[in-house]
Amino acid sequence: MASLEPTQNKTWDLSLYELQRKPQEIITDSTEIAVSPRSLHSELMCPICLDMLKKTMTTKECLHRFCSDCIVTALRSGNKECPTCRKKLVSKRSLRADPNFDLLISKIYPSREEYEASQEKIMAKFNPTQSQKALVNSINEGIKLQSQNRPQRFRTNKGGGGGGAAANNNGGGNASNSNRGVNAHDTASNDSNSNTNGNERESRDTSGATGAAAPAAPAATATTTPVSSSSSSSNATNTTTTTQAGTSGASTSSNRMQVDDASNPPSVRSTPSPVPSNSSSTKPKRAMSVMTSERSEESESDSQMDCRTEGDSNIDTEGEGNGELGINDEIELVFKPHPTEMSPDNQLIRALKDNCVRYIKTTANATVDHLSKYLAIRLTLDLGADLPEACRLLNFCIYVAPQPQQLVILNGNQTLHQVNDKFWKVNKPMEMYYSWKKT
Amino acid sequence: MAQNISPEQSGAGGSSKHNDDSLPIKDNHAVSKRLHKELMNLMMANEKGISAFPDGENIFKWVGTIAGPINTVYSSQTYRLSLDFPNSYPYAAPVVKFLTPCFHPNVDLQGAICLDILKDKWSALYDVRTILLSIQSLLGEPNNESPLNAQAAMMWNDQNEYKKYLDAFYEKHKDT
Repeated sequence: MASLEPTQNKTWDLSLYELQRKPQEIITDSTEIAVSPRSLHSELMCPICLDMLKKTMTTKECLHRFCSDCIVTALRSGNKECPTCRKKLVSKRSLRADPNFDLLISKIYPSREEYEASQEKIMAKFNPTQSQKALVNSINEGIKLQSQNRPQRFRTNKGGGGGGAAANNNGGGNASNSNRGVNAHDTASNDSNSNTNGNERESRDTSGATGAAAPAAPAATATTTPVSSSSSSSNATNTTTTTQAGTSGASTSSNRMQVDDASNPPSVRSTPSPVPSNSSSTKPKRAMSVMTSERSEESESDSQMDCRTEGDSNIDTEGEGNGELGINDEIELVFKPHPTEMSPDNQLIRALKDNCVRYIKTTANATVDHLSKYLAIRLTLDLGADLPEACRLLNFCIYVAPQPQQLVILNGNQTLHQVNDKFWKVNKPMEMYYSWKKT
Repeated sequence: MAQNISPEQSGAGGSSKHNDDSLPIKDNHAVSKRLHKELMNLMMANEKGISAFPDGENIFKWVGTIAGPINTVYSSQTYRLSLDFPNSYPYAAPVVKFLTPCFHPNVDLQGAICLDILKDKWSALYDVRTILLSIQSLLGEPNNESPLNAQAAMMWNDQNEYKKYLDAFYEKHKDT
């Protein structure tokens, strides 16, 4: 009876939410709920060491979780209270082991060694990025890597699909290690998504180069992170590169733009290249390209800080990225030089030759400004040394042609979605024109 | 002496350094690991009004900046602070000091800060981010009961006067 007394007097200090909340219904059918790796990580993390929980201990009253070592050290070295909420913790007896939680973690991350090894790797990678100079170096390296990969990809596609991935496998290959469980799940859900849009995707994939991307941030210090992997189906090896942009260290909101740019001449586009068993290769590809965005987010583990920045902004759009909206959220564009202002004898067009028409697939959230920045950087990169000095730091006006011969100049802050709704409507790649602003 | 040298070296070289009693050498690694994680989180979070970065190669010494909170006499000012992390971090608080001269009831002229969470109210859950945010809010809401700078505490009640004094103070310390 003595033990009952304190229990009755106890005020549990429940918040309004805690008083109102009901248990969640158990999911018994095959419904899958996607959880972002980041939020998952914050659930499984010890707030003291910021690592994954190890020998979880839970406070008996306030139910906060810590690694056994961490909380014991904390209690020994400091106040006798819960580090999270300052509730009194008299001794170790105010804690209980939480083996269920440990089991949960080991289910999600079967190999802690692997996880820890990858963590160590990140730390090692991250260490040199402490100095600004190293950061700049890694950016330059990234850009170099990307330009090395570009010609290879080109060849790969003409040759019919195989064998390109190996060359590209230097970037975030280890991203997949740590989060394999989660990863597989995402792939599956994306895959089903791809079926509905198979045709559209197919035409694009066969057209050639997949996945170069756009640095979209204003003062663009673009960090390029080649992300590549080979898909499960044996004949569908492919390469995907995501460029992630952010002003160094500070993300300018969600300026994310993942652009697939097929820089092949138009004629190649319509002729399917001899990819063996086309249909089987397109499906994984679909999954892949969604996974790139997924991966950059989950590369939490793989991250240099800039891709983490990226991952952050990704979370906002995550629902659109792999959820119900799926591919509809992307827009295909054809970019052509402005017929009058960018005549064939224009300095820039001469330098670009066939490359002056660009095929792009990007998120509908991208704005016209993003596109013009993308163009400026992309063209500059493509031309490299060939570019006349006068053309550097290009500034583009972007037009859309709702009817032939009628070009409408576009305001920078409209999203592609808006432009498409307003001017285009038809279900084929939106035709846009660019001309070069002299500044 | 740099504190984030490899554990082997520090074990071989310095017996004088281990006043953090029970903490094994391996924990030194744990501390720098946590600091690295904080750094990554901080860079990602892109918190407005505060920033922090290791000062040179030593991960145990950081320099932070905070912007004076808006709608206070300190708005439009930016302050630099130093953060020194002990080997027992995060179980013990870092030593935080103003590098920029700061005229404030709870900051002395050497830059030392009187703030409970940096002393007895420290919790292992605090990190660079929360420390800087706390100091930022301390600027606008001083605790005049236990002043380190009695003059500032006395003047605080008259905000107009205080602001004037503050401007003169900054003018005087412009170069430092």
